[in-house]
Amino acid sequence: MLLRGLTWLVLFQLLGTAIQALCLPMLPGPIIGLLLLFVYLVWRGEVSAPVQEAATTLLRYLPLLLVPPAVGLMAYVDAIAADFWAIAGALLLSLLVSLAFVGWLMQRLIERQARREEEA
Amino acid sequence: MSFDWQGAWQALVQHPLFAFGITLGAYQLAVAAYEKTRWVFLQPVLVSMLLVIGVLLLCGVDYAAYRDGARILTVFLGPATVALAVPLFLNLKRIRLLFWPVVATLLVGGLFTTLLGIGLAWLFGTERLMLMTLAPKSVTSPIAMLVSEQIGGVAGLAAVFVLITGILGAVFGPALLRRCGVRHPAALGIALGLTSHAVGTSRALQEGEECGAFAALGMSLMGVCTAILLPLSVAMVV
Repeated sequence: MLLRGLTWLVLFQLLGTAIQALCLPMLPGPIIGLLLLFVYLVWRGEVSAPVQEAATTLLRYLPLLLVPPAVGLMAYVDAIAADFWAIAGALLLSLLVSLAFVGWLMQRLIERQARREEEA
Repeated sequence: MSFDWQGAWQALVQHPLFAFGITLGAYQLAVAAYEKTRWVFLQPVLVSMLLVIGVLLLCGVDYAAYRDGARILTVFLGPATVALAVPLFLNLKRIRLLFWPVVATLLVGGLFTTLLGIGLAWLFGTERLMLMTLAPKSVTSPIAMLVSEQIGGVAGLAAVFVLITGILGAVFGPALLRRCGVRHPAALGIALGLTSHAVGTSRALQEGEECGAFAALGMSLMGVCTAILLPLSVAMVV
């Protein structure tokens, strides 16, 4: 089950990589694979059990898969230290402002949609 | 007779499974620590990263050697990205109910988030390599790493920025949003998922099921849109 689902995911990723090399160099292969799988799922109208199992398993271990790239930090300590305050400031400020803005915007839009539905 | 300690040590450290082994071990320690304390600062990726770096420094292994060994793990980031299509598809019904609010928030909010990050970093005087690495900071790590590499940033560093952003969002997000008068669970969820990706999504799940579902939606939509639009717009501008 798990292997069958994994085979599908790998197939879609490889298909994505082939398409990237052929005609879409600006999009990462796995992203093309994601879009292809999404279109396929919408077309099928359901997720088959093996694909769902493999996807759930992989996504549960996503944090583990992200550890090796994160360790890459040790190779860039100098680059970060050189720009430390600029980077820290940009990360924190932009996060807080955009978090508040996105939440506020969505809240407004939901309220507006609810009002319109009441009027209609 | 004397044992060749030096040789045995070298054989251990240079074994192809060494990097895999310490990563697995560090990750399980980190997950156990997080589950015991439930403290938001103890994000498993952050803690495992620090543990692995510590072990590598102690053993005198450099990052290039570790990266080669850990390729068994990183190669699965591709299929994991493809797997994000599944939660996206499963949330399709909820998207339809709030279709226009979600689309408008995604386009306006997502653009705002990305531009604000780049703009502030540029204003503070960071160089081009750093700008391109910071640009996808609000996107889930596999996508952020691919995208930053595509537009000329550093993949490993992008993952670090993504992680810091996510932890900040999970720590400050819910309190900040409530103070701004955001009450609807869908709005809370979208804000957390769109700006703080997976870490924000797991925080949103603690707020409730609807909030968590919209966070997953915000995360996957923001990821896909960034993956498609950011490399395209960078290619057009530069």
